[in-house]
Amino acid sequence: MATEKITPPVNLYVLVLFGLILLSLQLMSSAMQESSQLSAMYSWLLLFNALGSVVLLILVGANIYSLVQHTKRREAGSRLTTRMVSLFVVLALAPAVIVFYFSMQFLHQGIDSWFNVEIDRAMEDALELSQASLDQRMRWHLKQTQQLTEKLEESSENQVTLEIENLRELSGASEMTLFSRQGRIIASSSINPGDILPSLPDEHIWLQLRQNGLYVAIAPVHEEELMVRVIVTVKAQESQYLQALYPVPVRIADLADSVEFAFVRYQEMNYLRNSLKMSFSLALSLVLLMSLLAAIWVAFISVRNITAPVKALVKGTQAVASGHYDQQLPVIAQDDLGFLVESFNDMTHRIAQARDETRKAGFEVENQRAYLETILANLTAGVISFDAVYKIRTANQAAYRIFHVHVNQFIGRTLLELVESYSELAESLKSIQRLLEQADDIWQQRIAFLGPNGRQELLCRGTPLFSQEGLRVGAVVVFDDVTDLIQAQKNAAWGEVARRLAHEIKNPLTPIQLSAERLQHKLADKLESADATILQRSTRTIVQQVEAMKEMVDDFSEYAKPSKKQTVDIDLPCLVKEVLALYALKSGVRFKADYETGLSMINGDPVSIRQVLHNLIKNALEAIGAYGLVELSVRGVRKNNTDFVEIALYDDGPGIKEEQIEKIFEPYVTTKAKGTGLGLAIVKKIIEEHGGAIWIDTNRKVGAGFIIQLPACNSEQL
Amino acid sequence: MVFIMRVSGRSKRFRSIFYNTLLMCLLPFFCYADQFAAEVTQAEIKLQGESYVFSTNIVYNLSEKANDALQNGVPLFWNLQVKLQQQRKFIWNKTLLDAEIRYRIQYHALLNMYRVINEGNGDVYNFSTLSAALDLMSVVIDIPLMVRNELDPKKHYLCAVKVNFDRDALPLPLRPIAYIDPQWYLSSDWTLWPLKK
Repeated sequence: MATEKITPPVNLYVLVLFGLILLSLQLMSSAMQESSQLSAMYSWLLLFNALGSVVLLILVGANIYSLVQHTKRREAGSRLTTRMVSLFVVLALAPAVIVFYFSMQFLHQGIDSWFNVEIDRAMEDALELSQASLDQRMRWHLKQTQQLTEKLEESSENQVTLEIENLRELSGASEMTLFSRQGRIIASSSINPGDILPSLPDEHIWLQLRQNGLYVAIAPVHEEELMVRVIVTVKAQESQYLQALYPVPVRIADLADSVEFAFVRYQEMNYLRNSLKMSFSLALSLVLLMSLLAAIWVAFISVRNITAPVKALVKGTQAVASGHYDQQLPVIAQDDLGFLVESFNDMTHRIAQARDETRKAGFEVENQRAYLETILANLTAGVISFDAVYKIRTANQAAYRIFHVHVNQFIGRTLLELVESYSELAESLKSIQRLLEQADDIWQQRIAFLGPNGRQELLCRGTPLFSQEGLRVGAVVVFDDVTDLIQAQKNAAWGEVARRLAHEIKNPLTPIQLSAERLQHKLADKLESADATILQRSTRTIVQQVEAMKEMVDDFSEYAKPSKKQTVDIDLPCLVKEVLALYALKSGVRFKADYETGLSMINGDPVSIRQVLHNLIKNALEAIGAYGLVELSVRGVRKNNTDFVEIALYDDGPGIKEEQIEKIFEPYVTTKAKGTGLGLAIVKKIIEEHGGAIWIDTNRKVGAGFIIQLPACNSEQL
Repeated sequence: MVFIMRVSGRSKRFRSIFYNTLLMCLLPFFCYADQFAAEVTQAEIKLQGESYVFSTNIVYNLSEKANDALQNGVPLFWNLQVKLQQQRKFIWNKTLLDAEIRYRIQYHALLNMYRVINEGNGDVYNFSTLSAALDLMSVVIDIPLMVRNELDPKKHYLCAVKVNFDRDALPLPLRPIAYIDPQWYLSSDWTLWPLKK
């Protein structure tokens, strides 16, 4: 991960390119020297540098465009790069522009200072002096030649050849030729005996000669040699011309040439003054432009390299912020930024470690929680936990089974808020709420409420929860449905009572009855009629009461003994129909039965179930009197994943008083003047022994209603 | 494959402005490009005896700036280029001859005359007027190029002549200007004609 290699901010290619640019500029600078061999390549070098500038301009432009795009997209490090590049450009541009401005000023002023009026005049005067000197020499040679012609005119044609040789030597001419008007050479003499053919005038000279009759001019013969050519007319009548070529002395020719060279050079420089300024300005501008563009480009690369770790850090930070703690950044350089990157890597490594540990701990906690939740969910006891302000935090499945309320839907709400929705639980919930708020220690209370299956008894145990600092952070309430337990205790107690009654009371009754009958039999004939009547009435009363007591004891025995003797599959609608058929002849009472097809089979003792139906129907008939309506329905229901057959029996009698509803199924509780109060107790006992439940339908406002639910059995499965 | 590019109205307007501006910038170059160019008015290569000889007439049009430079002592150079190529059907032509005559013209302030130098053979000619000096350069008569048997009578040949003004021979400060100023476009175009054997 960490590298020890220290890399420069600018790579080798950039350095090579920089070197090429510098070389090119140096070559161009050298080419600007007239004497340089590179002068011929000046245009190409200029073009090359201009192209280089264009390439650099494109590179810089591309970098600027890229930077603008990155800035627009708000990419990491783009604003820092913009600031650094801007700063660099300003810092580089300002001195460069100042230097450029003053360089241009100095350059222009320097070039202008080369030229002034005095030098101009001096050069022109020098040239004019040279020209005047040569003119004078020409005039002198003309005059000299004209004098020579006079001698020739006196000579005959035969003497001309010799005379012309003498005249040439006398005059100092290098060549002297006499030719006719038609150009025919009459005589010729040359300082160089090897020159057979003399130098003849060209067309322009002939033209001038014919016009003026003479010709004098100075002309370069070779590169650095001047010659005065003089042609004059010798004989006016025959039109002969004498041409004399006078060499200009070498010293004079050299001086004239030197003056001309200086004049031409100065004139040329003066003429090229503006071009020179422009050329130098162009070169200087090109140098500045290339240097600046190259510097800006390198600035881009350098800044990019410098900000690369910052960019990576920003991206890494963003990644860490979004939860990717495994972020590790490459360490590019061992500088401060490299140290920062290393610290970042160390930090992310530690964060990742901490996260892994936290995650592991979280998993463990989650497993524990899931384990506890599983246990809680499968507890038969309901468990509800509360937070510090007594709002429900959790509730297990058993809470629903016990309360028949989806407590989970009330998480985050208080028990008092449940009261609004479930008024039947109001008192119980208020009581628990009060205990939660007031109790500082474990508390226990038994509460009762009327549930959908009748009266339910709950045993609640509450435990307040405290933090380590001793602050109350919530509470846990555990409640058990002890309805069945209490009922079983009651049943057991009543069964015991019944057995004792049967044993303790029924046994003496038979001797009592027999003794009374014996008294009647022995004494009836021995007493007077009045006493005999009293005896008979008393013994009859004794016998009747003993009979009544026997019946009562039999009922107790009936109540005490188990009802589920022989169990068979019973088609409950059929059984109900059979029972109802026995009451069909009773005038004044209407029976309305409703049987739902489907689930109708139960497993039980048909005698006991028949007794249940008889007891309930008898109760209903006694309640409604001579006229009334008894409604009876049998249907299948599904509760807690279990199928039940439900028998509902309603009458339109006076109904059951509210204060009796809770204890109506207990022995010796009756609303009738006659009766043992065991009818409904036996019914409840039989139903519960069959695994079912019976309760009073409190929703019904007219008469009384009983609902029995018995576990259904699937005869097909059997 | 056909590419269809959809251009928005704004883009079209921008493009139109760009092309118009470019055209306006380049218009002077198009207009003056040939104004001062030399012109080959007549050229021929003919068989004279056993040799092919070349003759041409050229008109030199000196621009004001070129004339000005010449008067101020700046020497001007022209290269008269002659090419003879064998025409081929499926590949490029084969160049058999590439001859050049290089002229230099310069003003001599001391003698107030124009000097023309044939740089090839070193011939020097002095003239008192510019037109006379240019006349010398204008006429080329019967310059021998090659012997007859060097050419195949069954093949076709193409002759080409051009007068090329040597801008790189100008003084260094003038060169950048000479490349962009139409007044310094003094070269002629190539003149082509088939060789008559």
